[in-house]
Amino acid sequence: MTSPNYSTDPGRGSANISLSQSADPRRVLADRVEQMYGQLPLGIAGSFVISVVAAYELRQGRYVEIVIFWAGLVLLLTAASAGLYWSYNRSTTKASEAAQWLRWLAISALASGATWGFAGAVFFPSHADEQQVFLAFLLAGMVAGGVSIYAVSWPVYALYAAGIVFPFTYVLGTFGNRLFGEIALLVPAFYAMNVSVAWRLNQVFDSGYRLRHAYGKLTEDYTALNQQVERQLEELLQAQREVDSSGRKLALFAERSPIAVLQMEQNATILEVNPAAEILFGYAAAELVGRNAIRTLFSSENPDLNKAAWNSFIETAKPLSLPPTGCLRRDGIEVICEFTLTPLVNEFGALISVIAQVRDVTQVLEADRLKKEFTSTLSHELRTPLTSIIGSLQLVNSGVMGEIDKDAVELTEIAERNAQRLLDLINDILDIEKIESNKFVLSPEDFALDALVRESLLLNRGFAERFKVRLEVSGEMPEVPVNADRKRLLQVLTNLISNAAKFSNEGGAVEVSMTVAGGTVRVNVGDRGAGIPEEFRNRIFGRFAQADTALTRQKGGTGLGLAICKRLIEAMNGRIGFEDREGGGTLFYFELSVKYALAQAQE
Amino acid sequence: MRWRKPKNEELMREQPLNRICYVEDDEDIQRVVRMSLERVGKMTVEVVGDSTRAIEAIIAFKPDLVMLDWMMPVMDGPAVFRKMREQAETMHLPVVFITAKASQRELDELLVMGAAGVISKPFSPKNLPDQLRGIWHSLP
Repeated sequence: MTSPNYSTDPGRGSANISLSQSADPRRVLADRVEQMYGQLPLGIAGSFVISVVAAYELRQGRYVEIVIFWAGLVLLLTAASAGLYWSYNRSTTKASEAAQWLRWLAISALASGATWGFAGAVFFPSHADEQQVFLAFLLAGMVAGGVSIYAVSWPVYALYAAGIVFPFTYVLGTFGNRLFGEIALLVPAFYAMNVSVAWRLNQVFDSGYRLRHAYGKLTEDYTALNQQVERQLEELLQAQREVDSSGRKLALFAERSPIAVLQMEQNATILEVNPAAEILFGYAAAELVGRNAIRTLFSSENPDLNKAAWNSFIETAKPLSLPPTGCLRRDGIEVICEFTLTPLVNEFGALISVIAQVRDVTQVLEADRLKKEFTSTLSHELRTPLTSIIGSLQLVNSGVMGEIDKDAVELTEIAERNAQRLLDLINDILDIEKIESNKFVLSPEDFALDALVRESLLLNRGFAERFKVRLEVSGEMPEVPVNADRKRLLQVLTNLISNAAKFSNEGGAVEVSMTVAGGTVRVNVGDRGAGIPEEFRNRIFGRFAQADTALTRQKGGTGLGLAICKRLIEAMNGRIGFEDREGGGTLFYFELSVKYALAQAQE
Repeated sequence: MRWRKPKNEELMREQPLNRICYVEDDEDIQRVVRMSLERVGKMTVEVVGDSTRAIEAIIAFKPDLVMLDWMMPVMDGPAVFRKMREQAETMHLPVVFITAKASQRELDELLVMGAAGVISKPFSPKNLPDQLRGIWHSLP
């Protein structure tokens, strides 16, 4: 927008048109009316003072009564105008009723003008020459002075001046004096000039007011805009503060993280590292920044993260976890690290940088190796002496060494039984260690579960007989195909059956049954033993869980059997549990999915 | 090649298993195995404690079957086994490993190497002769 142009012609500048036209015309009118009322006291006072002077000068004429009447008229009009002014000032409808107030003002102006017109028409012929000059001067002054009071609305001025001029012109024209006749011709021209000046002034005022309003509106708009900008700025600052604080939070995370964090460019140039990275690699941050991470940190012959692999990572821009990778510290010591690479992309998917989180797994791997070594040692070094112990005792107890004293045999049998228990314990510990370290692999195959159950019954018959317990099948044994690890499932069955036999009363029976329902086969192994003590129920599948240590010594068992069973069955996506049997005893069961494909194939 | 003269092979396997050479460093186990095989199995046993001298002992003893421990100092069971396969005199002898290693993977490894069988420690001395005879008679 150009600088404000106070042109009186609204049509001169296009900027002005749009600016002026943007003003509300009703508000412009209201302002003009207000200005006219503002000048009214001056008009009233001026008019009143001049009237008093005129009345004083004209009293020597013939018609004093008329002068007094005129003076009364002037007083009345002054009072009426003052009343109008007073009521306008007190009004609450100045703006909304501006046109009406203007009309009232026009009436008052016309009345005021007419009063002077009356004076001119009545007193001019009746007075002497000097007084005529005085009157003419007075009227001309009134016409001219009215411009300043009424020019804000030229029609009001035209009415006011017409009230003065036309009666006076008529009197001049009909006076019979040639000079006065000529003046009578000039007065309308004088009137026309004044009105045109008023018209021009009116335009100027109008334009001025419109500009003022346009500017007012502009200022309002500007203020609103300013407030909006201020608000947005505040929001922006707030957002920045949040970003700053989250940035600080992130920086703090990285700073205090026990995991090494490196930020890299696309070409693997290191931008930033955290203290953990300094400690891990033995470099100061300043030494690392600017270096190429691949060349600096990785052992020279590293197949895991060569140039091609890095490039493909940059291309795909997808997070990547590297397998444990050999890295070289500054002091030349090799450490094994796990790298997690996360590409930092902007909202358009373009790569900004790469965040690498590096964890030193050297010790973890070493611990793993030690554990493996320990397991292997446990396996070998403990079994070797046990081989001699159990072997010797077995040879003695089997009688091949000849007749031995009965008491001695009792002792060697205790020794053999406990050596066997120790062996079972070692086997179970190795077993559960293997299962829990997730290193064991199931070898699932399709087979008939019922056949396996029968096999397990046969295998455990001898064991059950030691406890004088029968193994019985209860109900039908439906032919059920399953997909599971046969050997491991046999281990579970053996465990459940031998447990049931151990905890059955002498002469009792272990009942094994199978049910199929809704794609699930359930194998039940029930005993008529004393049941499971309440306080033992929630840890029965835990490690080294045995209800009664006295009973354990008597019947053997490592307390790991059920824990192994549970892990094995769950690894086969099955479920294992137990419940009380009606009439006493406990029922252990496991459930597996029936292998339908095999069932259908067999049909 | 053995399978070119199957008749001889079959004849050989039908003979009772008599002479066993056992390579084992642990003296106690040596004794238990010897007693098991001699007393229960009524076999003739030659025990070799030093695995580095195993080959010459085997050649000298001329066993029907060789039993090897896996874990032995200096030269372990598989090393002895490989050495046997390199020597003409010991090349065809069936070998049974007796090992405390329990993992299925390791046991499979031995069978892949050409072992006739694997018996895991601890074994039952009562059943050991029968186990060996079972392996012996199932050989081609």
